[in-house]
Amino acid sequence: MDVIVDGVTQIWGEDPTQVVALDRFSHHFRSGRFSCLLGPSGCGKSTLIQIVGGLEPATHGTVRVHAPGRADDVRRLGDDSVMVWQNLNLFPWRNVIDNVAFGLEMRGVNRAERYARATALLGSVGLRGFERHLPGQLSGGMRQRVALARALIMERSILLMDEPFAALDAQTKIVMQEELLKIFDRTHKTVLFVTHAIEEAILLGDEVVVMTARPGRIKEVIPIELPRPRSLDMINSHEFGALFDRTFHLIREEVSAAMAQQDAMVSSPA
Amino acid sequence: MKRSGTAKFLENALPSLSVVAVLVAWELVVRWRGIAPIFLPAPSSIALYLWRMIADGTMEYNLGVTLIRIFVGFALAAVTGIALGLLMGMSRIVYRIADVWIAALYPLPKISLIPLLLIWLGSGEAYRIVISAVTAFFPIVMSTYSGIRQADRGLIKAAQDLGASTRQIQFKVVIPAAMPSILSGLQLGMGVTIILIVAAEMIGGSSQSGMGYLLISAGQVLETEKVFAALLVLAVMGAVIMKLQQWIDRKIAPWIAHDNR
Repeated sequence: MDVIVDGVTQIWGEDPTQVVALDRFSHHFRSGRFSCLLGPSGCGKSTLIQIVGGLEPATHGTVRVHAPGRADDVRRLGDDSVMVWQNLNLFPWRNVIDNVAFGLEMRGVNRAERYARATALLGSVGLRGFERHLPGQLSGGMRQRVALARALIMERSILLMDEPFAALDAQTKIVMQEELLKIFDRTHKTVLFVTHAIEEAILLGDEVVVMTARPGRIKEVIPIELPRPRSLDMINSHEFGALFDRTFHLIREEVSAAMAQQDAMVSSPA
Repeated sequence: MKRSGTAKFLENALPSLSVVAVLVAWELVVRWRGIAPIFLPAPSSIALYLWRMIADGTMEYNLGVTLIRIFVGFALAAVTGIALGLLMGMSRIVYRIADVWIAALYPLPKISLIPLLLIWLGSGEAYRIVISAVTAFFPIVMSTYSGIRQADRGLIKAAQDLGASTRQIQFKVVIPAAMPSILSGLQLGMGVTIILIVAAEMIGGSSQSGMGYLLISAGQVLETEKVFAALLVLAVMGAVIMKLQQWIDRKIAPWIAHDNR
């Protein structure tokens, strides 16, 4: 599915204390491509994918979703996308299989079928045998897999990911990135992946959308033409290094700007 | 840190040893100083009276009556409190209306309603059950309401994203998310139910039964041994009910112990 974001502005709060989270953000996320949104904290990248997912209304501007080449057939926002949340948002009272099968249950799929599909998916993300565990009994990496399976079972063509690996330890993060690359190579979903880690953005993405400090605008779109299938070995390549340097310089200015904003907020009287 | 065997043994044994030590000291002081039993009976004579009251069935009967009253009062408060709490959490209008009444009635000490209830309901079963249910109702309704209102926004959004309807979100997400808060409201409610039932049995007893009646009637004729025996049974009863309730809570909501988000 193509995702066309056109002039999206998001304003939080009322006039005297209002915050402009996004400012006239426009971008065409192409079908079947992996796009990373990279920017300093508070640049509105999470807000953007929530708007794309139909979970927040935009203050101004539009988001359109349609199948490639069928611009006249605009889909309802949220119907073709599913989100993997930064803090996972697993239901703590549901065991693993009932978390994964939640979407099917809401759709009225009978228990036998939803358990069969959830079991198969759990096997593919390496969680066989943990179906009856509660999320609270699992490690961070395993919870992350549950969250991923819960999204994948929906079979939506757009995958929205909000810093999904930010809370993981370094080794688990590598494993999960490789897992996600495999899933992407297999399914070719349209992925919007929010991150603040430069390496992660370059390793995973077909393009890196670098955003400015608040209010979030597009600073530059960097195409990543590393071949697929990708692997972690590429991090040591010359090409990767060049992309990293370029992105790093762009992002450094924005992070300093974001930090200056925060300092200003701290020192100015409320 | 590895502790020695003796230290571990002492840690496990000291609580029970302390109870034994107090009882022995109590017994010795009463005997040596010749304290009159109407002021402070010796533990051995309390035990003897307790045994007699159990043997002739007085204790079982009064305990049974009190337990039935507690459970009826509690059940009434739980059903009405949870129902209103859920409605308040899900409907602004219900909240607005109920809030006025709760704000006015909650701070009122419920025992101050006793004279009125005695006039309206007489001094029979209805009065005891209503006074305890009214008292337990407030903590239950308020914890249910706040559990619903404080349901994690992230979970609600996630459910919405996974295609849940508003109704499904309420039943499959909001209510389960409110469970820990509802259960703690029920624990508070049970505590006050016990207090109010026993107090009501002491104050306006026409049916002359229950642990509160046993206490007050033994006290009036200075049968201090019986007073202590009844207190002991009440304390054990309270502890057993509370532990049982915690056990049921863990069965209903086993995730609470694991929920480390």
